[in-house]
Amino acid sequence: MPQKYILKLYVVGSSAASELALRNLKELISQESETIFELEVIDVTKHPQLAEDDKIMAIPTLIMKLPPPVRKIIGDLSDKEKVLLGLNLIPQNK
Amino acid sequence: MATRIKGRSSKAKSTGKSPAVRSGVLKIPTGIKGFDEVLEGGIPKDRALLVAGSTGTGKTVFASEFIYRGITEHNENAVYITFEEHPGDIIKNVKSFGWDFDMLIRKKKLVFVDASPDNVITKESGEYDISGLVERIKHAVNQVKAKRAAIDALSMLFSKFTNKDAIREVIYNICDELKRLGVTTVITAEKVGDRTNGPSRHGVEEYVVDGVVELSLEPGQQQFTRKMFIKKLRGVGYRSGVVKFDVTNAGLEVFPKIEVNRMVSKTDFKNREKFGLKGIDDALGGGIPQGHMLLISGNTGTGKTLFGMHFIAQGIKEGKRTVCIALEEPIEQVKKTAIEFGFNFTKYEKEGKLVFVSPSLIDISNDKLLYQIVNAVNKIGAKRVMIDSVSSLQSATMSEESVRQFLYQAASFFKTKGIACLMNYLSSTNFGATRGQLLASMDTNIMRLSSIVDGIIVLLYVERAQRVKRIFNILKMRGSWHSTDIFQYAINKDGIDFGKRYEE
Repeated sequence: MPQKYILKLYVVGSSAASELALRNLKELISQESETIFELEVIDVTKHPQLAEDDKIMAIPTLIMKLPPPVRKIIGDLSDKEKVLLGLNLIPQNK
Repeated sequence: MATRIKGRSSKAKSTGKSPAVRSGVLKIPTGIKGFDEVLEGGIPKDRALLVAGSTGTGKTVFASEFIYRGITEHNENAVYITFEEHPGDIIKNVKSFGWDFDMLIRKKKLVFVDASPDNVITKESGEYDISGLVERIKHAVNQVKAKRAAIDALSMLFSKFTNKDAIREVIYNICDELKRLGVTTVITAEKVGDRTNGPSRHGVEEYVVDGVVELSLEPGQQQFTRKMFIKKLRGVGYRSGVVKFDVTNAGLEVFPKIEVNRMVSKTDFKNREKFGLKGIDDALGGGIPQGHMLLISGNTGTGKTLFGMHFIAQGIKEGKRTVCIALEEPIEQVKKTAIEFGFNFTKYEKEGKLVFVSPSLIDISNDKLLYQIVNAVNKIGAKRVMIDSVSSLQSATMSEESVRQFLYQAASFFKTKGIACLMNYLSSTNFGATRGQLLASMDTNIMRLSSIVDGIIVLLYVERAQRVKRIFNILKMRGSWHSTDIFQYAINKDGIDFGKRYEE
């Protein structure tokens, strides 16, 4: 039974870091064939209250809502190793 | 949009407020007791003020009160951005001052931006900025149409993120954004080290803000003394120097140095404030001239306080409101003594004709005492003041120099108001003056106060034929005729029984 991940990516409009984070995340997801991902991209300029509820400060921020515990990864996600560690996903090639 | 307005703005008119204006920068009152006077009106509108201090100096109380007074007294809604404590804890803590933040939140006058530690495992990967926080602040400001913001405490931001440049940038962005939105902000920051190290842990804040106030806590003789130092305030006037403040159960109370205009003197020799004791009033040429400070000096038991009570009671009888500064005894005891002589001070107090000022003498400062006196005088429009006694200030923790300074400032203030002030001074004169040289044993300590006070009355004991007699002499009275006779008086159940010229 594949593990289900619920992710939220907080971005600001179409900033370079935000677009890069989304690209990096999509690439990473595509490599994780064993896992089901549910990703929601949230623009804080449009949904500031969601950002308030999730206590978002840095942009971009990736939140892993499920599986518990809740984790946050801030930054453009360019360091894949750290992202995988942050999401508690064991790197595939190791 | 931050606006520079010369003169009174139309907006200020419409709200009925009159914010102080100086050199084109509009000020808004914080509402913190005494603080706005120190800043000659308040803090610069739409700007950021940094309040720095080490732990326990009252930074969070300052920020919270700025918010609370803004909403409740100046109709300015607010955003509270907290980096340190959880909103729930802040709400709970300020309840002890009687500030109901829950209610303000329910009424949509206050909103929190919760940036306190959330215990979520957080990792960093790659570039980021802190625009999420900026967006949340903007959203919060729009939600309640905020005019004020508190940021408490900024230093916490640095421990949260490793990218220091991003933090510096965001601090600048937040301040800029709040200015743009027309929000006046109080930012608190932890201060470590001494004054030479700058006002807060990271030098950047000072550069970004328009004003810096430092709070400090220093051990006094029996309790801590809180001090406030206005370090910088761009483009506006303020009173320089260090001022003291207290954290009371109703918030902060700052004691500004009282600035007295020495050019104004309402001394009036035609209008005299009477004791209601014919002999004394006649000897004084009608009473104490308005604007005069009269010192009454005598050893213990000579009836100094009683003379004061006559002075208070007569004033109230004539419809003149009076402030009594009771430093010698507890107020209740003063009242009990007064009733023995037929003076109902409790009734006068209830009627608002008499106000007592009775500060704790422990770690008292001249600024604080003077501020309390000025407030009491202005509150009821007093024409008479009685201080019982000056010597208790000296025997408390005030240095001789501070007492002199206090009297000098007080005398100047009373002159600007045309107030007649009677104050007692405990002298250590001896018994048993020699025949024909009644004043020979007089304590000369009072002479050092002579240049400050306008008049001096001395009360003395003389021992004659195995009896102690009390004598009274007016030693000096500036610019006015007075009797130079030595009078005899007694104390009976109705108070002072003022007699005739003393005859051996």
